[in-house]
Amino acid sequence: MLDMKDIRKVFRTELIETHALRDFTLSVNEGDFVAVTGPSGSGKTTFLNIAGLLEAFESGTYLLDGQDVSSLNDKARSQLRNEKIGFIFQSFNLIPDLNLFDNVDVPLRYRGFNTGERKRRIEQSLDTVGLASRMKHLPSQLSGGQQQRVAIARALAGEPRFLLADEPTGNLDTKMAASVMEFLQEINDGGTTIVMVTHDQELAKQAKRNIFVLDGSASEIEAAANNTATA
Amino acid sequence: MFSYYLKLATISIRRNPILTALMILAIALGIGACMTTITVNYVMSSDPIPQKSDQLHYVQVDNWDPNNPANSDGSPPDQITYTEAINFMRDKKAFRQSAIASSSGVVNPPGAETKPFMSQIRIVYSDFFPMFEIPFLYGSGWPDSVDENKELVVVLSRQTNDQVFGGEDSVDRTLEILGREFRVVGVLDDYFPVPRFYDVTVGALNKPEDLYMPFSLKEELELSPNGNVNCWKSPEGEGFKAFLQSECINYQMWVELPTESDKREYEDYLYNYVTEQKALGRFPRPMNNRLPNVMEWMEDQQVVEDDAQILLWLSFMFLAVCLLNTIGLLLAKFVSRSAEIGLRRAVGASKQDLFIQHLVETGVIGIGGGVLGLLIALLGLEGIKMLYGDIPESLVQLDLTMMVVALVLALTASMLAGLYPTWRACSIAPASQLKSQ
Repeated sequence: MLDMKDIRKVFRTELIETHALRDFTLSVNEGDFVAVTGPSGSGKTTFLNIAGLLEAFESGTYLLDGQDVSSLNDKARSQLRNEKIGFIFQSFNLIPDLNLFDNVDVPLRYRGFNTGERKRRIEQSLDTVGLASRMKHLPSQLSGGQQQRVAIARALAGEPRFLLADEPTGNLDTKMAASVMEFLQEINDGGTTIVMVTHDQELAKQAKRNIFVLDGSASEIEAAANNTATA
Repeated sequence: MFSYYLKLATISIRRNPILTALMILAIALGIGACMTTITVNYVMSSDPIPQKSDQLHYVQVDNWDPNNPANSDGSPPDQITYTEAINFMRDKKAFRQSAIASSSGVVNPPGAETKPFMSQIRIVYSDFFPMFEIPFLYGSGWPDSVDENKELVVVLSRQTNDQVFGGEDSVDRTLEILGREFRVVGVLDDYFPVPRFYDVTVGALNKPEDLYMPFSLKEELELSPNGNVNCWKSPEGEGFKAFLQSECINYQMWVELPTESDKREYEDYLYNYVTEQKALGRFPRPMNNRLPNVMEWMEDQQVVEDDAQILLWLSFMFLAVCLLNTIGLLLAKFVSRSAEIGLRRAVGASKQDLFIQHLVETGVIGIGGGVLGLLIALLGLEGIKMLYGDIPESLVQLDLTMMVVALVLALTASMLAGLYPTWRACSIAPASQLKSQ
């Protein structure tokens, strides 16, 4: 599903160079639920951005679903993101002026679905997260947990095979965080591959695999679930 | 997707109504100023008689001083002498022709209600009315025989007929002009060509005259010359007759030549005429005859005045300043939306998608600016009307073409103004925005 080998990413300013990823190697298989942990500044988010085709990298190879992404132009990368990848962010990233229906509609618009198909998918995904009755509400009228569920509905509406979550429970209290994790587990049980960056070791334990990132390199560590693989 | 982009533009406009209003106002002010000056230039440079302007020709021959040309560019004088006017009309070599000139005189209306008043007179030949397709409300022009017999007939403008006869059909009624009894043969309908092409020597925006009477009365009634009278040498002798026989120019000559062949024949006629006059000791300068059509003559006479063109350029510079302001405001608006742009990129929008989305929004603002700009242009034109008073209504009206021009100009200008902010918006790195929201 995701194959990264010897990925290097350097952030440069006039004064310094920061090596965010050094020879970063990781394979994620179809159906995996991978938790990525590590200290702040270790390169977790940079990895997630590269995995989500939001950032380019200096060297190494990255195959997504067997396709080498380094040679793709902006349009092709955007299409790949739209069709295969769903994003969940720590701060939800809902558009405040759009109601829930229109927020979930955003990725579908770029997919080219007709009106009927979009409506069906939006209603279905909002129903999945238990917010179908509030689809005309604005994000500001919802709690943090509900907003994150809308973000999950938006990520799911396009039926991606690969879900990238960046601290999805970081802005939520314990109860809401547990609820969101339950959703992610259900989604993974349905066959969607999930890579989740988190600081929370308790949440990480619920993933099938745990990856620890330090100084821009990844290593597999023992997870609560009995899955092992070599990074 | 276009309807989606329109929907997003509407939402965005509602999100920042004050910022949007400022942008629309900036564009509107620029468009309003431009459209005011463009309209004046457009009307002044438009074809006043499009159906036959290429068949109507202004006659120029060079009777001027052998040592000094009439015009610095070497072109022949702008008018002709009385001698040429009479000779050309005697020879009648064109399909239609009329020598014309401006004059003035006192009109003494019948009855005691209306006091005598000074009126502007245009002296013309019978062909003047059909040649220029001048509309009549009552009656018509006069036949050739009137010119030959020097009959005292007059055609009134509609305004004069309203003033003297209360707007009634005054054909066959009499009117005292210059102390003589004239018979009214026709009343014109509204007629105010812009520019007043048949005589632009004293101003292209002047209104047509109040009365039209036979040119052949010029000598007998000693009608005073109006407009520009230029002489390169003094008349030989004293009195009105000597003035008419002099080399002074004060007359215009128009001919209608329906085909190219007619035009060539008339050019030959002028060549032969001038050759003949040279043999008689006149026309000391080299042969220099011209026969421009209406639009060529308007261009030659620079009907669109330099002032109007300078104003036009100034208004375009003002529009550029307004657009610079719009660029700044758009930049602020789009950059404040970085998080949304990052999100859209993350969920699959390409740079091209975002570029189109933001250009559509810019276009909507531009159209808004265009519509408001039209209203400002109307106010500007009203201002011009108040400033200059007696100018044709068509000069201060925005026709359909100008409205379309305004909207296209606003749309194009706003799109150009939106290019840089849109490019900046599309260049935002999505990853940095998604984490920082």
